[in-house]
Amino acid sequence: MRVADQQIYGTLLGNLQRSRSQILTAQEQISSQKRVETPSDDPSAFGQIVLGKSALAQNTQWTRNIDFGTARVDAADQALGQSQNLITRVRELTIQAASDTTSAEGRNTIAKEVRQIQRQLIQLGNTEVAGQAIFAGTKTDVTPFTITSGDTVAYQGNSETQSIAVSENQTVQILIPGSSIFTGSSTNIFDSLRDLLTALEGNDRNGIQTGLGNLDLATAQISDAQGTVGALGNRLQITHDALDTANLTISKSISDNQDADLATAITQLRLQEVAVQASSEAFSRIFDTSLLNYLR
Amino acid sequence: MSGLNGLFGIGSNALATFQRALSVTGQNIANVNTPGYSRQEIILNETLPENGRPGQIGTGVEASEVRRSVDTFVEQQLLNSNERLGQFNASQSALTQIQPLFSDSNDQGVAAGLNDFFKAWQDVATNPADLTSRTVLLSKADVVAKRLNQAATQLSSQRNALDGQIQQGITDVNSLATQIAGLNGQIKLAEVGGQNANDLRDQRGQLLNNLAGLIDITSLEDSTGQVTVSVGIGQVLVAQQTAFRLTGVSNASNSGLLDVRYDNGSGPNTDLTAVISSGRLKGLIDARDTTATGLQTSLNTLASQIVTQVNQQHRLGYGLDGSTTQDFFTASGTTAATISVALTDRRQIAASSTAAGVPGNNVNALAIATLQTTALSGLGNATFQDYYSAMAGSFGSTLKGAQDDLQGQELLHGQLQAHRAEVSGVSMDEELINLLKYQRAFQAASKLITTSDEMLQTILSLKQ
Repeated sequence: MRVADQQIYGTLLGNLQRSRSQILTAQEQISSQKRVETPSDDPSAFGQIVLGKSALAQNTQWTRNIDFGTARVDAADQALGQSQNLITRVRELTIQAASDTTSAEGRNTIAKEVRQIQRQLIQLGNTEVAGQAIFAGTKTDVTPFTITSGDTVAYQGNSETQSIAVSENQTVQILIPGSSIFTGSSTNIFDSLRDLLTALEGNDRNGIQTGLGNLDLATAQISDAQGTVGALGNRLQITHDALDTANLTISKSISDNQDADLATAITQLRLQEVAVQASSEAFSRIFDTSLLNYLR
Repeated sequence: MSGLNGLFGIGSNALATFQRALSVTGQNIANVNTPGYSRQEIILNETLPENGRPGQIGTGVEASEVRRSVDTFVEQQLLNSNERLGQFNASQSALTQIQPLFSDSNDQGVAAGLNDFFKAWQDVATNPADLTSRTVLLSKADVVAKRLNQAATQLSSQRNALDGQIQQGITDVNSLATQIAGLNGQIKLAEVGGQNANDLRDQRGQLLNNLAGLIDITSLEDSTGQVTVSVGIGQVLVAQQTAFRLTGVSNASNSGLLDVRYDNGSGPNTDLTAVISSGRLKGLIDARDTTATGLQTSLNTLASQIVTQVNQQHRLGYGLDGSTTQDFFTASGTTAATISVALTDRRQIAASSTAAGVPGNNVNALAIATLQTTALSGLGNATFQDYYSAMAGSFGSTLKGAQDDLQGQELLHGQLQAHRAEVSGVSMDEELINLLKYQRAFQAASKLITTSDEMLQTILSLKQ
């Protein structure tokens, strides 16, 4: 076989270029730490990365939603707990007032404390998170409970609820309208308190007894709401944990698809460096054997 | 003519012949690095012998021919390889320039914009009364629209750039055709006089290779040594010493971009755009009319679905100011180039499903946020992200395919060039040996002449 000079140079040049280009690729991977940066690097992996990033963005957003909802639900839980305590206190006072030994004056004094407690309860019903009422249904921009006249309280909100997205096709309610807690389904707590106050001040023992019965209904109604809120808080927490786990899995899958394997990249780099050295060495040897070096 | 004069004759013939042989060797050495050069070799023959006693006596040496070492089979393969190399090179570089469209791994692409857009909707759904999250939503919507606009602009400017390269390719084809036709004439002239037009043929071969890199050609050599070159489906580009032309003609139904047309002298009437099957022009046309156009169509579908789906749901809801049946995106802008946000007042974002539920009702915002994970029939039952991811993946495969094709073809081309070099390449060692061989022969032939001269002297001195 004839060997022309072009073949020697051509082969050498081709090999060097290929090695150099692979060195460049390895270097890029090492410095960017990414194996896939463009669709052509690995088309199917790139598609997976796009979907993974989208899933991750969704998960992050759901977590964000849950954090927001949790603040609302926790505030509601707290307000309901305090309301329950207030009702318990009213109940104690009412039992005291219902006693035969309590004088009309004593009932008047008790009425004062009950009125104080009623005002506190109104405040709890008007609890806001970040300037938005949490017991007004979706009328978050109004003060839900206001005194219209005397001890009468009117509800200004509506009975709508708000739910937030917490995972794919799943929503969790984060608002319980005040109408179902304070002025709610089985008893209107504020009306009961108003009637109780009238009975206390009017020294009406029958009315006080009725009030006591209504307070039991109120306790049950708030407990009910506490149960609902607790369950919602629980669901938010569980979903949050599940999302955290899913986040790890998705991040790992993105990383598997996208990140460079440093060990492989560095090995590849060394390998190609050796190839370049070997080619260069071979070239200088071939050059030495040229007939030109022997003709004087 | 035997005798001493004959000896002189043999000597002087040999001197001239070896000098010629040395010239050929010199030519080979000088052109060792010339692209397309084919090694030449001198063919030596004995001259006609003379009759005599005891038998015929030789009369020396002559150079009968300077022959060019070519393997026409390898040359043809190289020509084909050049066509594919040109095509793959053009495809690869054109697609690489389109690729930055998909900068999603750095969260800069359309997909990342869509993610942010729907995240902003969720924020509005979570806190519908909050004006800040509404402001964010409007700006994220604007980002999605701008990214799509930008992608559309990039694609159309890429198509225009490719069109410019196609025009350049056409110009190059025409210039090469003219040069080949010119060389046809010179070769014919030289060879009709019995000469081997070695160097002219090398030049023409080189031009043919360049031409093949641009467009697929068929070339046939006739008995006078002239080549006929055809392109497309038998359209003659070079016939003997006449070159015909390709012309770029603007096509109104293809955004005014150029069709490649063949002009046989009566005007650019034959459209070759779809017929060209290889070469740089094929790569450019494919990138311009298939890949880039495909991406444009996909992006337009995506944009149109975003606009109609979001608007459809948005019109059902109520804004903080009680507004309803409002379009979120401009209804008329349903392409990637024209998509834009219609709403300017954040209070008009219709998060609520009822007029009475404002500001806390979020049902409509939730419904729009859910669009992110909804399989849409307008996208072939895929979600926005699925559709985009498939589009990016398919583009990636096309480019990867072009890169792999190019790499494979470069290897093959390297082997073919090595084959060609094996036959036609200059080996310096061989030439150096020839140099010494002919130099020694030249010295010996001179000795022949001096010896004959001495013998003549001897005879002349007999008379004294």
